[in-house]
Amino acid sequence: MEIPTETQPEPEVEILNKLMKKTLVSVVLAGAAFALYQSFALMPGYQGLNLGLSNYIIESGLKDTGSLNLITAVLYDYRAFDSLGESTVIFGAVSGIVLILSRKMLPVSSKGLSFIVKRTLGIMTPFIALFGLYIMSHGHLTPGGGFQGGVILAAISIIFSIVYGSAFDYRRYSPQTKTALETGGALTFLGLGLAGILMEGAFLQNLGFLTAETGTLISAGSIPYINIGVGFKVGAGLAIIFYSMIQKTFEEDF
Amino acid sequence: MEVLEIILVIFLVFSALMTVRFDEELISIIFLSIFSLILTALYLLHKAADVALAEAVIGAGLNTAIFMSAISQIRHGDSD
Repeated sequence: MEIPTETQPEPEVEILNKLMKKTLVSVVLAGAAFALYQSFALMPGYQGLNLGLSNYIIESGLKDTGSLNLITAVLYDYRAFDSLGESTVIFGAVSGIVLILSRKMLPVSSKGLSFIVKRTLGIMTPFIALFGLYIMSHGHLTPGGGFQGGVILAAISIIFSIVYGSAFDYRRYSPQTKTALETGGALTFLGLGLAGILMEGAFLQNLGFLTAETGTLISAGSIPYINIGVGFKVGAGLAIIFYSMIQKTFEEDF
Repeated sequence: MEVLEIILVIFLVFSALMTVRFDEELISIIFLSIFSLILTALYLLHKAADVALAEAVIGAGLNTAIFMSAISQIRHGDSD
């Protein structure tokens, strides 16, 4: 008995198929654009609600939290629980990426760039670290906060991997150190939340007794400490993500 | 201020179109980083310093590095 050979699809059918797909995508995109336009057209209807909340925060945000930067006040005091959720999302992403990509080998990306680049970066790195720490610790006074400062700290690890080769990064800041930093940051955040339950009566409530004179570095209750915790957590997490993405098999000795 | 904003928006749309248009991934990534940079300037123009800082650090810095490393993995073809 003969096995029936599979017939190739006609070129005309394929062209028609492609046309169908394109039409479908265009229709979906047009529908999405229409829905988006409709929902944006509704926006002026919500002005009353918008006015009340933002007016309240602008008027009494400084009094409530002691933080000069109102955005940080919203992120780490009024809506601190949302920030905890964001940190959990990053933690989940790091866990998934490490689970899929990590291998038990010493990673080697390259031997690094030239001598001039290495020396220049050796001079610049402390200033980058200082800038990151400044952004983190002054989140309640100037623009910035834990998240942005943490990413700047992660950039140092990325620069080390690119310029000096990832073996240098491995020796300086091993994945164990990064994991410990990430866990420590998360535990700081949660610990301050629990301290809020014990002393003020609600989870992540701002610790009032830490508040000092407005405008000084150690003011605004627990916000600076939460910022530093979030910064180390985010920075270490993103460094781990980058580190597990550049891992390759053992190719050259160093 | 109005003129600067219009110029920035035009360049924003231009860089977004160029990002999609090129087949070479490296050029796309560079245009994406330029897109983030212009967006940072726009945020700063509207006095949203926090968002501008986040966009500069994440969009122009971290995204570029992570995309580059992903592309270098794809090019070598050793997926295991």
